[in-house]
Amino acid sequence: MTDGPLIVQSDKTLLLDIDHPGSVECRRAIAPFAELERSPEHIHTYRLTNLGLWNARAAGHDAEQVIDTLIKYSRYAVPHALLVDIAETMSRYGRLRLEADPVHGLILITKDSAVLEEVIRAKKIAPLLGVRIDKETVAVHPSQRGAIKQSLLRLGWPAEDFAGYVDGQAHEIELVQKDWKIRPYQELAAEGFWHGGSGVVVLPCGAGKTIVGAAAMAHAKATTLILVTNTVAARQWRDELLKRTTLNEDEIGEYSGAKKEIRPVTIATYQVMTKKKNGVYAHLDLFDTHDWGLIIYDEVHLLPAPIFRFTADIQSRRRLGLTATLVREDGMEGEVFSLIGPKRFDVPWKEIESQGYIAPAECVEVRVNLTEAERMLYATAEPEERYRYCSTTATKRKVVEALVERHATDQVLVIGQYISQLDELSEVLGVPLIKGDTPVKERERLFGLFRTGEIKCLVVSKVANFSIDLPDATIAIQVSGAFGSRQEEAQRLGRILRPKSDGRGAIFYSVVSRDTVDQDFAQNRQRFLAEQGYSYRIIDADDVFQGKI
Amino acid sequence: MEIRSFTDYLRSLDDAGLSELFAARPDLVSPVPPDLASLAVRASSSHSIARAVDSLTEFEFQILEACVALDEEFTLKNVISITHKDAALAVTRLITFGLLYPTDKGMRLPTSVSQLLINEPAGLGPASLAKLKLTELNEAPEAANRVLTQLIWGPPRGSVGDIKNPGPGIAWLLDRKFLVPLDQRTVIMPREVGIFLRGGKVHKSYQSTAPAVTGTKRVEKSVNMAAAANVATVLGWVEELLHFWAQEPADALRSGGLGVRDLKVISAHIGIDENCAAFIAELAYLAGLLTIDGDDRILPSNNFDIWLTQSAETRWSALAANWLTTSRVSGLVGRGEAKSVAALGPELDRVNAASTRKLVINLLNEQPNLAPDLDSFTRTIKWVAPSKRNPGIQEELILWTLREAEWLGFTGQGASAKYGRAFMTGADEIGIDTDLPKPVDHILIQSDNTAIAPGPLEHDIARDLSAVADIESRGGATVYRFSEASIRRGLDHGKSGEEIRTFLVKTSKTPMPQPLEYLIADVAKKHGKLRVGNTASFIRCEDTSLIAQIMSDKRLEVLSLRKIAPEVLICDLDAADAMNVLRNAGYLPAAEASNGALITGHRSHRAKAKPKPPRVIGEIDPPSESTLTAAVRSIRAGEKSSHKQSKIRDSAASALGSLPRTTANETMDLLAVYVEKQQALSIGYADNNGAVSHRIVDPIRISAGALVARDHATGEMQSFRIPRITGVAPL
Repeated sequence: MTDGPLIVQSDKTLLLDIDHPGSVECRRAIAPFAELERSPEHIHTYRLTNLGLWNARAAGHDAEQVIDTLIKYSRYAVPHALLVDIAETMSRYGRLRLEADPVHGLILITKDSAVLEEVIRAKKIAPLLGVRIDKETVAVHPSQRGAIKQSLLRLGWPAEDFAGYVDGQAHEIELVQKDWKIRPYQELAAEGFWHGGSGVVVLPCGAGKTIVGAAAMAHAKATTLILVTNTVAARQWRDELLKRTTLNEDEIGEYSGAKKEIRPVTIATYQVMTKKKNGVYAHLDLFDTHDWGLIIYDEVHLLPAPIFRFTADIQSRRRLGLTATLVREDGMEGEVFSLIGPKRFDVPWKEIESQGYIAPAECVEVRVNLTEAERMLYATAEPEERYRYCSTTATKRKVVEALVERHATDQVLVIGQYISQLDELSEVLGVPLIKGDTPVKERERLFGLFRTGEIKCLVVSKVANFSIDLPDATIAIQVSGAFGSRQEEAQRLGRILRPKSDGRGAIFYSVVSRDTVDQDFAQNRQRFLAEQGYSYRIIDADDVFQGKI
Repeated sequence: MEIRSFTDYLRSLDDAGLSELFAARPDLVSPVPPDLASLAVRASSSHSIARAVDSLTEFEFQILEACVALDEEFTLKNVISITHKDAALAVTRLITFGLLYPTDKGMRLPTSVSQLLINEPAGLGPASLAKLKLTELNEAPEAANRVLTQLIWGPPRGSVGDIKNPGPGIAWLLDRKFLVPLDQRTVIMPREVGIFLRGGKVHKSYQSTAPAVTGTKRVEKSVNMAAAANVATVLGWVEELLHFWAQEPADALRSGGLGVRDLKVISAHIGIDENCAAFIAELAYLAGLLTIDGDDRILPSNNFDIWLTQSAETRWSALAANWLTTSRVSGLVGRGEAKSVAALGPELDRVNAASTRKLVINLLNEQPNLAPDLDSFTRTIKWVAPSKRNPGIQEELILWTLREAEWLGFTGQGASAKYGRAFMTGADEIGIDTDLPKPVDHILIQSDNTAIAPGPLEHDIARDLSAVADIESRGGATVYRFSEASIRRGLDHGKSGEEIRTFLVKTSKTPMPQPLEYLIADVAKKHGKLRVGNTASFIRCEDTSLIAQIMSDKRLEVLSLRKIAPEVLICDLDAADAMNVLRNAGYLPAAEASNGALITGHRSHRAKAKPKPPRVIGEIDPPSESTLTAAVRSIRAGEKSSHKQSKIRDSAASALGSLPRTTANETMDLLAVYVEKQQALSIGYADNNGAVSHRIVDPIRISAGALVARDHATGEMQSFRIPRITGVAPL
């Protein structure tokens, strides 16, 4: 028995003891094949999945290496059955290969004809295939490259894709590192992506995903399509690219509701891409109008369904997904991986925090007691109205007032779900409100004022959940949310994680009504962050009023 | 002393010789026979011989076959000439086993060995009666050669269209007595011809030593580590299974055992395949950790509680010891065609299972650190013990035993590990306790509401913790998750919120995260706010003073009333009885329906069951005239017929003489004598209906509890079951 930092569980999870001196080395060793699931304060949980093992194979690791690593770092004896299982799983990868054939185009080829026979007979696969060329080869419709990879993955015979990527139209892009320096993890992420071909990079909010995108573009040196959540985010991307790369204004186009520019680097919004005209997606052609060498999906966890489908058709282009929170309440994480590509880079939030690249944050749950009358109203409300009712109570408003007053010198964001509640708060607090129908220009103006510190406090709706870069916001107060959405919570925390000029920590308040569904949802919302090691502190509303925080 | 029979031989043995025999065949001394004659009878019984033959190696068995094929008495030289040069050793072993004995003139087999056991040894036919010129076989025509090739390796019988009109090849052979007609359609090849054609030997090939086991060499350290992991895992599985059944007992099938559905449930719960689940259930069953109670529920027994408190080594030894000696084969569960065989059911016993298991383990232990490949391993086992009694399942038994040995941790990475070896030698300490991870006495609570035990938890802590948290992941460590439901379960178990908190603070090495503290407090605060209970009836009154009066009324004590609200009392008697008591005490209650309406008026009751009028036992109607005549006629006719029959029987008996009658022992003795003498016998034989008939027969041999003989009446071979032979007399 060794005294390693790793405990291998029989359900294929790996527990990594962070307090162990060998944990850093071990983390590096297992990262290529195990997926980080949770990273709370003491023990991190990784999971061995088929997908993860196959990705490791794709990255050139073999089963022996994986097994050796496990045995080397394991604290207890590793069950033999598990090792056998790993070897078997990994040996399934690459029995089938997708290749580009000069005569037949895209082909599926194997040395193990039994496997080919098996997959050819599968109902889901047959329609994707063309003519049978010989015993070990079959043609594949080029447009079905994505679909067949997905279906083969589900059958448990992942194909190794040797068909390669199109280079796209070349366009010189370089990083300009004059007054800044790319961070080591950003460089690692961009390189990990480039060697993998396509894939997803997971980095905490505020850790500089845009730079990873820019670095990837500098690797590709080709025309690039960037898909972002909204126009404000699009403009932020443009500004960043202008600042960090050799690109100039004429080379970057915006493709949104307002403008329809197509330039060597085009930034489009999800919204415009999924807009329907006469029942068809009018703008999906954008994918084809240009010979893109790289497609970047910002906030890939929000990828809308039509783009999902379309992405399946462009498997020969390099794709980079960027996100902080790859948790989807609709359980589509797997689809993201198979269409965009596997996770290429992931790092615990707390690790980045300890390196000082994101601000340390404190999470505080403020519990508010409902008054007797409110309780009665809540108890008798219709079930579908209950959450709205308890998350918008008058007591909450008072708590928010007290909190804003307390942090009068800080930059404060008040974030909520229900517009009526936000209208009310904006009025009571006497601060501007940004919501869905605020014009883009007005939004930019307000954000601008907030950045310069002329406005100390903003009330924002869920439009500010993502991609809004507000470096100096240090306090966020959440009053209501989209029920139990874990990623919304994380994204909202992300708004205040940019490192502060004076190194201050951020505080994230979540105001919750006690003994209601609000509290239950809050618990679910906090799960992702808790698993990332953010420990919530619970305080009572009275403590806020009495100034005891 | 001259040795003429097996009994004589036994008498000639000294004490050492006898002990050697008993050591080789322990069944001979349980119980101890009264004298040497009875010992000889027992040693010659088919059952005992079958056991003895089962302990022979393939080579020894081949030599035995060859001996049967020889004419008695024979010498070692004879044996070697038709077998292998190493036969001497095997012959000595056979003598030790009492399957062969030396006499003054040479060696003999106890009659029963050749008669009971081997009809056609090594596929050879009976000895030829005629003198044969075997060299002629070398010039056999092509057609004859084809026939011979068919018969050479047995069975020595072949069928022909018509014996009177055989083809040229067969005719040639029949002429020279190289084939002998057996009946109208069958010919048989005499033994001498067979041996000649086989090149003077009885078998195709001989292997006088066990074939070596081949496989993959493993590193000793990793074998032992893997075995330790297996040991820890199997203990975890058993514990988990029984904990699961303690919560949700499985129902046994009506035919006994565990249903397929329940098996699936447990295999999914523990996360193992169904074969393994059946194995684990059987392990627990064998070790007495679970019982099937009177209500056919499968539940952990009290022994389980004791077992849980023991050290890992003791726990494992209890499982291993029972597994080694059981005749139950869990591998049979759900196997291909035998889908209906259930774990814990009555159909799992197999002869040889325990001996094969022991054999496999011993063979594995002979070569530590070698993970044998199945083919070579099976070949060796088959050489060491060519099972004759249950050959069909032996290969599977080997496979299953290897599989189970790995699950149990006798092996690690397929190679024998030190724990199993130490266990087999009966060592006091087999090293499990020192090698298994030490139990830990603490957990790490994290802010995502999980707790991690970084090693096997001490029993008490594990028990208390699983009451308040759900297990999320098992293995070297255990991951527990706290949730509202799990805390509630803890409260249901009678712990207070404060107790849970104190326990966690005491057990956790890390500080208790505040959200968890709040969670416990929240759940504890809400727990038990709603109260649920059983009651048979209630008494309601808006006048609280009347309620007070009823509560204090001594005459109503029988109702055992309880006040649950100012205006409501509950009562254990049902409403009708309660009303009667109240009325008798002078109150004026009225009944209330479930919707609160008053029930008034007289109620007349109706049964809910269907009417079942009582059965009537009537007189039998007097029969009619015609029925009576018919009855009389039929009785008369029957009487006449039986009279006639008995007359015929008498005359037959007088013609043949009376039926012989002998006791069972006499019958056996006489048969044995006359089989040897090949002399015709008169026997009485009971048919299926118990009627005894008289037969004249030529005895040929005794086999499998039957006398094979040619019946003079029909001229055909027939087998007579010995228990049905009422008597034997020589003609």
